[in-house]
Amino acid sequence: MYIIVVGGGKLGYYLTTTLLKEGHEILILEKDPAKCDAICEELGSVVVRGDGCEARTLAEAGTERADMLIAVTNEDEDNLVACQVAKHKFNVPRTIARINNPKNEALFKKLGIDVTVSSTNLILEHIAEEVPTHPLIHLLTLTGRNLEVVEIKVPPNSAAVGKRVRELALPPQSVITLMVGKWGAVVPTLDTILEPGAQLIAVTRTEAKEALREAITATKGAE
Amino acid sequence: MAKRMEATKFLVPLNGERVDENTLRLACTIARSEKGKVYAIYVIEVKRALPLDAEIEPETEQAEKVLKRAERIGDEMDCEVVTELLQAREVGPAIVDEAVERGIDVIIMGMPYKKPFGEFELGNTVPYVLKHAPCRVLVWRESVDIEEP
Amino acid sequence: MNVIIMGCGRVGAQLAALLEEEGHKVTVMDRESQSFSRLPPNFQGRALVGDGTDEDYLRRAGIEEADAFVAVTQGDNRNVMAAQIAKHLFNVPKVVCRIYDPLREELYHSLGLETISPTTVGAKLLRDVLID
Repeated sequence: MYIIVVGGGKLGYYLTTTLLKEGHEILILEKDPAKCDAICEELGSVVVRGDGCEARTLAEAGTERADMLIAVTNEDEDNLVACQVAKHKFNVPRTIARINNPKNEALFKKLGIDVTVSSTNLILEHIAEEVPTHPLIHLLTLTGRNLEVVEIKVPPNSAAVGKRVRELALPPQSVITLMVGKWGAVVPTLDTILEPGAQLIAVTRTEAKEALREAITATKGAE
Repeated sequence: MAKRMEATKFLVPLNGERVDENTLRLACTIARSEKGKVYAIYVIEVKRALPLDAEIEPETEQAEKVLKRAERIGDEMDCEVVTELLQAREVGPAIVDEAVERGIDVIIMGMPYKKPFGEFELGNTVPYVLKHAPCRVLVWRESVDIEEP
Repeated sequence: MNVIIMGCGRVGAQLAALLEEEGHKVTVMDRESQSFSRLPPNFQGRALVGDGTDEDYLRRAGIEEADAFVAVTQGDNRNVMAAQIAKHLFNVPKVVCRIYDPLREELYHSLGLETISPTTVGAKLLRDVLID
């Protein structure tokens, strides 16, 4: 694949080293001449000095034949514009933007950026996975479908304990696919009764995650 | 008496400029006296809009012409000239890589005297090679009156 | 009209003064408070320190009730991003965006943003003065 990386900072550099090792053709676009020299010294002819938001630079970089553009500068607006120019002017099939401010995730998606990566959110997710009391853990995102696979623990004091799956107020398009309880793993039916402390693996829409968490973990008093 | 140079492999990058011939003749003269060999290379700079291994007709044709001529000059001067055509994104790094790969002892580069914007310009390639080549580098700059009509 | 101006440079400040003179309600945003010294001393509108590419600051500036949004910071990309937030997230009826780079301006114009490139406009003006 031919991949263009906009931004030759630490992230861009290490991304490039890894992608080169995987055998891809990579080009970094970087404004700072000192960074360009350093990259060229380390990695060879894989860097062009220029503004990755400028159509002229992108044309020179052969963006037309690029399979992917990844924008990883420190500025969200620059990443947005680089991806949009690549997408709309050069028809790059896949654009990935780094997001520094997690608030921008929804906006970028709405504006047609294929994938966004927010380091803040990634770190938060890892923290969530490390904290055992956190009742909902994100396991996997099904790309392009807005669906996620999550893990939820049924708290012993939850109103859902002892209820059948059909009695739960699950949000639409949320499915409990597996229950791991004291009898081991079972594929739940609508009549399966939720055990206290059981782990559930569920598929849900991203925006319904909170509602799903509510349905499984709300305590009796909160009902 | 001066110590011998102990150099037998000479790399001469060519690009079809007028300075090519004088540089190559200089290299052949030195190489012959050292019983060495000249490696004449032509680097085609491939634009990023094309994949590195793209076939670029007019440039390839020009390069082959230049390299043929280099072989003829070698024959004429009774010096072994090995030619090679390379494609790269940038000329400077390609020359340095080639020098490393072939274990070159001296790179001999020619450059014209050019004032593209009214001032003398060194270009990118010569400074890059001077800075990065592991071996000795000799730069032959053409005299002013040759390039300025 | 209720107008938000993002960027209080020379153009932003002058535009704010013009609009206010005509009786419009003006809110000016800038990341640096010292930029507001460019506003006329009798300016009655609101001046707010904040980042116009951040939806929370835009909300604070009253973007949900705004009739128009103008992005005139020094950064083309900041303007483009803020204008798209105003248009696509907040559905502001009139959004105008300054983009210096003519190529970028062309692209975002074709994507449906209302754009002005001072580079193109300025060059044309100068040409018209020169060749009369």
